[in-house]
Amino acid sequence: MVDSARDRGKSKGGGKMNEEISSDSESESLAPRKTEEEEEEELEETAQEKKLRLAKLYLEQLRQQEEEKAEARAFEEDQVAGRLKEDVLEQRGRLQKSVAKEIQAPAPTDIRVLRGHQLSITCLVVTPDDLAIFSAAKDCTIIKWSVESGRKLHVIPRAKKGTQGQPPGHSSHILCMAISSDGKYLASGDRSKLILIWEAQSCQHLYTFTGHRDAVSGLAFRRGTHQLYSTSHDRSVKVWNVAENSYVETLFGHQDAVAALDALSRECCVTAGGRDGTVRVWKIPEESQLVFYGHQGSIDCIHLINEEHMVSGADDGSVALWGLSKKRPLALQREAHGLHGEPGLEQPFWVSSVAALLNTDLVATGSHNARVRLWQCGEGFRQLDPLFDIPLVGFINSLKFSSAGDFLVAGVGQEHRLGRWWRIKEARNSVCIIPLRRLPAPPVAGS
Amino acid sequence: MPKAGASAGARGSRGAIKQSRRMAGDQPKDTSDMSFEELLELQSRGGPKACKQVVAGRSPEKQSPKPVCVADKHRPLEMSAKVRVPFLRQVVPISKKVARDPRFDDLSGEYNPEIFDKTYQFLNDIRAKEKELVKKQLKKHRSGKEHERLQQLLHRMEQQEMAQQERKQQQELRLALKQERRALAQQGHRPYFLKKSEERQLALAEKFKELKRSKKLESFLSRKRRRNAGKDRKHLPLSNE
Repeated sequence: MVDSARDRGKSKGGGKMNEEISSDSESESLAPRKTEEEEEEELEETAQEKKLRLAKLYLEQLRQQEEEKAEARAFEEDQVAGRLKEDVLEQRGRLQKSVAKEIQAPAPTDIRVLRGHQLSITCLVVTPDDLAIFSAAKDCTIIKWSVESGRKLHVIPRAKKGTQGQPPGHSSHILCMAISSDGKYLASGDRSKLILIWEAQSCQHLYTFTGHRDAVSGLAFRRGTHQLYSTSHDRSVKVWNVAENSYVETLFGHQDAVAALDALSRECCVTAGGRDGTVRVWKIPEESQLVFYGHQGSIDCIHLINEEHMVSGADDGSVALWGLSKKRPLALQREAHGLHGEPGLEQPFWVSSVAALLNTDLVATGSHNARVRLWQCGEGFRQLDPLFDIPLVGFINSLKFSSAGDFLVAGVGQEHRLGRWWRIKEARNSVCIIPLRRLPAPPVAGS
Repeated sequence: MPKAGASAGARGSRGAIKQSRRMAGDQPKDTSDMSFEELLELQSRGGPKACKQVVAGRSPEKQSPKPVCVADKHRPLEMSAKVRVPFLRQVVPISKKVARDPRFDDLSGEYNPEIFDKTYQFLNDIRAKEKELVKKQLKKHRSGKEHERLQQLLHRMEQQEMAQQERKQQQELRLALKQERRALAQQGHRPYFLKKSEERQLALAEKFKELKRSKKLESFLSRKRRRNAGKDRKHLPLSNE
């Protein structure tokens, strides 16, 4: 009886016993054979034998599961696999390192102030290797600073309007700048509808892109490429190829002047629509756009946190976190920088700049209430919790994190970067480097 | 059937193997594994439509109403990025105020004087009260601009009242005629309809009777003659002498 049970087990696997039978007759012989076996089972199997067979089956299954688990664990511990996983998560926008909790508030003396511009700083960029900072101001100059020493490495002076045959430069307010992810090209856009391309290392002028019909208000390079996205007050988004000095295409959709633009490694860019009230994600290969609503005021600044989430700030003081699958913000923080004005006529401070550390949950916002506020994004970007404030007097017109997350650079001015509604005399037009120290990781218990 | 019995017993032991046989009474997914007897049974039981359904697969009614996912409502709007935004564009959503004149609106329906008077009967009381008010006001102001204004107002009100009375009388007349006609028709006579000119003559006759009663016939006739004379004089050729 026990032998018959074992035999049946083997025939179920369809193994050695059927090898000698020819392939043609196999199907025919199996079917009647099975019925015969069933009838045998019906008659001869007792309860104990059945129990025995089932127990053996169960053990077999357990053994298989344990083997699979061991395999999976081995794979996880592999370094290459870990790296690949990270890359996939990054592409999908789900990579998130929680560094916000570890950041310490810097002491006021640690903040380095680099002065050199004569008028308010409007925008700045940090080179991808974290060694230099480019800053542009309302005096139409661009200055390259060294992060370590704080000295000016290069100054691109203002060009006089009209007359030809001069060193190239801007003749009107520079509203935006962008640097490519390999640190080769620097692009800057100004109010006279021009985009100037410079070589970042030597600050030599390379090309000029004309085509926009109004002030250029946003620039961003696509990560890993030399494709440049630009937007302007003429409500269009243009795609350029800097390496080939060519224009690619134009995209339409905004109803009013666009205020800012940002892009990561996908062939997508995101724009802040200003008075339009919309944030739009432009899918360039598909030539379509996704429209998001949620702010009440004019959306002035936007920054991508990872491939799927972004943070924006508006002039009604609200800061919002967005995800690509929901048309409304995932998290909205009103009056992020407080209120000012006479009692009874209080107005929220405008949020003039936002920045986010790539693939983490740390967000910084700046306004003109004499502080830069750092926030932590909650689980799934559904919450925005304030961490601490960094005291900094003036209009924080631009904020950028370094690629490694070691420091935060703030471009400070006496006036707002887009106009002269207020003037803070106590402020100094400067680039401030704020070091972000991390708390040492607590020792693992039991090691 | 021995086949079904065997399968029932063996199912417990062959949990892993896909069950191709089924119990009698299960709805088959496929006609391929049904015997001829079962096919005939299905046909006789469900009729040709059920048979066709099983043969064709799932019925179309099950496929068409796709459940609308609630999450789709929250997705951002996807639009083409190549369509130029027109010059006259909507930056802020404004709802245009649509002006409606109830006199020319289809929603107000057709004007039916009888129904109108019946539904707005309550206005007569209000009008009477207002007239009383104006009379009282008139007692206060006996001369001057205010007096003139009030006089005119009172006159207007009275004239409106008289016009309403006239309208009412005409309606009653018309109704009476209609009823007469209906009665005659019922009795068996052929229904006859008056011409408009004949109706006007009848109304004129009624008016004469009324005027005679109130003894205003003479003044009315003289005024009428004067007006007609004036009109006729206009049509005469102009004489230079």
